[in-house]
Amino acid sequence: MEDVIKVTQLSKSYGSQKAVSELELSVKKGTVFGLLGANGAGKSTAIECILGTKKADQGQVLILGLNPVRDRKSLFQKIGVQFQENCYQTEILVSELCEETACLYQSPADWKSLCSEFGLSGKYKSPVKNLSGGERQKLFIVMALIPNPQVVFLDELTTGLDAKARRDVWKILSELKRRGLTIFLTSHFMDEVEALCDQICILKEGRAVFYGTVGQAKQFSGCEDFEEAYLALSGEEDEIG
Amino acid sequence: MRSFGILLKNEWKLSVRNMNMVIFAVLLPLVVLIILGMIYGAEPAFSGAAYMFMEQSFGALCTISICAGGLMGLPLVVAEYREQKILKRFQATPVSPARLLAVELAIYVIYCCVSLLTLILASWIFFKVSIRGSWPGFLGSWLLTMISTLSIGMMVGGIARNSKSAGVIASLLYFPMLVFSGATLPLEVMPEIMRKIVNVFPLTQGIQLMKAAFLGLPAENAGWSAAVMVVVTIVCTGISVRFFRWE
Repeated sequence: MEDVIKVTQLSKSYGSQKAVSELELSVKKGTVFGLLGANGAGKSTAIECILGTKKADQGQVLILGLNPVRDRKSLFQKIGVQFQENCYQTEILVSELCEETACLYQSPADWKSLCSEFGLSGKYKSPVKNLSGGERQKLFIVMALIPNPQVVFLDELTTGLDAKARRDVWKILSELKRRGLTIFLTSHFMDEVEALCDQICILKEGRAVFYGTVGQAKQFSGCEDFEEAYLALSGEEDEIG
Repeated sequence: MRSFGILLKNEWKLSVRNMNMVIFAVLLPLVVLIILGMIYGAEPAFSGAAYMFMEQSFGALCTISICAGGLMGLPLVVAEYREQKILKRFQATPVSPARLLAVELAIYVIYCCVSLLTLILASWIFFKVSIRGSWPGFLGSWLLTMISTLSIGMMVGGIARNSKSAGVIASLLYFPMLVFSGATLPLEVMPEIMRKIVNVFPLTQGIQLMKAAFLGLPAENAGWSAAVMVVVTIVCTGISVRFFRWE
């Protein structure tokens, strides 16, 4: 199977602080890849360097065979992005934000049907700032899907969602994956990672400390439970206990 | 072009919803017009002048909306979008910086047009102000003044780090231009050296040209004035696109 995302030797420092160090990863078409790690482990920096919205100090990135910085315009026709900080114009309405996003793409998805899939129909005329945290999070997943993308990047996709809403999002993502969408996500919820991800990479202080499947992570750490395995591997385990 | 139209429609709605520019670029010039009209009425510009004070001031009145848009509205909205990471969201889409800047530019062009139309109508209806020179000459110099001033705003917005520094730069440009370009203080009272300095402000050139065209007076150095404005437009537009920052 072809590599949809290929990252080699990616490094990025802020001053003397290494944010990402020699990161290597590859994501196959139609799979879900999870980038994990504690707050400040370098996940968001890694995503931004992969997308080219931050300039990496060194390393190569290819997405769908394209260079995200040099081929920005053609690449971003094919990929959808949801950033961790979701930013929108102060007074903008849901319909305006969706319309304004959809018009940038050659063959966008129908944002109204996406909104209703995510339970947002009836909210078109609401200002985005008046949505609940969960609704807003769903709206930003909708926006990542508006391009009709071949790859989506979702940075902390279900933060702020309640249990039911998270399950709904998983269901939709699994269905999209079945249809061939490649998903790159970061998450702090290990149940979610276990349910969705084919491959994971755990970052600690910018370095990959584990790379493989959820099953391998459990085996490698000797833990039955994936959350335990994650804590052991990421070095977040309570060392006093 | 479809994306340009939709972006323009939505950004225009957002701008009107915000009301700042409706007040400063459309209502304020009208208020100043009415006040000047109530004070000076149909008085001549000076004793023995062939034209009214109101007619002499008309060109300068038209630059209020241009200054509000180009030196305040445009740079601040672009810098604010950068600070609020809205530009970063756009960076992860296929849209080009030139297109985003063009949309914001178009919004302020619309404000300036609305202001010009309302000023022409109100001054004609209430104070019988009418052009003595040529419309093409007046509109041409108005257009050059507007585009060159807006391009300065686009440059400031395109490269300022955040809305605070854009605000500082905007004020540094706005107030000297407003005071020294002949919009408020007549050029004739300034010392020679100062006149030379303010001559490079596109606004100074624009106001002189607009005044001459409106009153039907011979324009001194019209070629020089137009050249200053064209060069400013090209340089500022080039810088704003070339050195555009998303974040």
